[in-house]
Amino acid sequence: MKRSKWIWLVWAVVLLSYLVPYTLLSDVSRWYGSFLFWSVAGVVIIALNVFITKDFKENSDD
Amino acid sequence: MTESLIWWSIAIYLLVAIGIAILSRQSPAKGGSESMSGYFLGNRQMNGFVSALSYSATTYSAFMMVGLAGLTYAGGVGALGFEIIYFAGVSLVAVFGPKFWAVGKRFGFVTPSEMLGHRYNSKHVAMAVSIASCIFLIPYSAVQLAGVGYLLQGITDGAITFTTGVVLATVIAIFFSYIAGIRSVMWTDSLQAIMMIVASTLVAFLVIQGLGGFGALFDTLATEHPQSLTVPGPGLFSFVTFLGLTIPWFFFSLSNPQVSQRLFMPSSLRSMRQMLLGFLVFGFIYTIVSVLWGFSALAAFPSLESADLATPTLLASEFVPPVLGVIVMIGIMAAAVSTIDSIMLTLASMVSRDVYANVKPNVSEKRQLLVGKFVVPVIALMALAFAELQLDLIAVLSVAASSGLVAMVPAIIGAFYWKRGTAAGALASVVGTSAFVLLMYATGNSLLGLPAGVWGIVVASVLFVGVSLVTKPHQATTDAFFTAIAEELEKKAVA
Repeated sequence: MKRSKWIWLVWAVVLLSYLVPYTLLSDVSRWYGSFLFWSVAGVVIIALNVFITKDFKENSDD
Repeated sequence: MTESLIWWSIAIYLLVAIGIAILSRQSPAKGGSESMSGYFLGNRQMNGFVSALSYSATTYSAFMMVGLAGLTYAGGVGALGFEIIYFAGVSLVAVFGPKFWAVGKRFGFVTPSEMLGHRYNSKHVAMAVSIASCIFLIPYSAVQLAGVGYLLQGITDGAITFTTGVVLATVIAIFFSYIAGIRSVMWTDSLQAIMMIVASTLVAFLVIQGLGGFGALFDTLATEHPQSLTVPGPGLFSFVTFLGLTIPWFFFSLSNPQVSQRLFMPSSLRSMRQMLLGFLVFGFIYTIVSVLWGFSALAAFPSLESADLATPTLLASEFVPPVLGVIVMIGIMAAAVSTIDSIMLTLASMVSRDVYANVKPNVSEKRQLLVGKFVVPVIALMALAFAELQLDLIAVLSVAASSGLVAMVPAIIGAFYWKRGTAAGALASVVGTSAFVLLMYATGNSLLGLPAGVWGIVVASVLFVGVSLVTKPHQATTDAFFTAIAEELEKKAVA
């Protein structure tokens, strides 16, 4: 699969960031509820971007 | 903290920042800042590290530390979700960044609006995008200035007035942009970003320690404010409101010219990658820290009269040593400045490049630059006037700006992915959506129960696609644009 296609995973995380806290976690009033979910989502986004931009490698300035 | 401590700290900060700004100047031999791309783009030679810090400083303004902490205080954990969705939206840079960069290099674009004008072969598109950006971003800058005003007033118990704070920030912003254009802005941004991330993390750490640790903080919240840990929570973040806030911010990295213009600046794609990843790491820490500030304020001071006071109250509390409190306060002021000076520069470049040079053809680069430099303080003074109006909840007004700027998004996506897009489509989308959003805000911001933040992207897309389909694209410029992207990026892949 082309690396850039992985961006769709980012969009999937975004979708989950709308759905999960407003449904499954709407009654979990502890730190391991929405707070943890969205924090983990943030870390996953960073990891995906590291992977997606791996090809941005060439040595600058021509 | 005493007033003299505050003034001394501001003086020291200014001294260091001005020193850095002066050092950032580039000799004329290396390109200098005497041309449009020199002054506004740093000659497309910015390195990844400075770009990352500056991108962060420009994006994260006084809104973060005052507004997001306040939003958490008032609405609970939904504020984190809002910011994380914005944050995920910056991944658009991974998709669009290289394309912006490639056409910028090939055609010498200085502004995103110039790029759109070229792609759709229409001066009117470039002018419309520039003017709409001014309409929405000048109030947004005003929000930043007001942030400084509230902060200084709140933290000094009124010894430094709202107006003094606002005027101070305006003067500094003008000054930073004048020393060396974008280079002095980016270097002073970097100073601010580093200072801020260290100091604000330290504050979060100390405050949470003071409240008995992370576990105790969340236990207090769970027992005394259980709703603050869920959405919809205390009521601010109903799902519809959440959608209305997050959709425009998701597209921020494309819709806001002060950040999309940054995609023209990195010296290479490697630098662009560093900019993106550096920003993401920085932004993530900053987001969590701001939200923790809001939560801490809620646990420690549950009955503040306004949520915007959460940050100032926290900084002035016994948990934070006065010197650290002052450093963060200066950092927040610098954060507002670093956002405003970038916006001023971007808007000035758009006004001179896409409005002035299009109305009056054949003006020299030198003349454009002169006009740009003249526009900088004009924009600053307009923002100052708006700030003095003292509008209520900081975050809400700045979101109005994002809703409006969403008007550009379909035309930008179409520029790179839809050859069938036309000038008429882009123009209708930008002008129609901007007018629509303004009308929505003027009439209570609700249509069929949904806010402008949700409608904006729908209206913009329908107008862009609909009008494009009944008009004809300009084949030659479209083809040249797509060919340039393919060639520039392929050249890189082979090299």
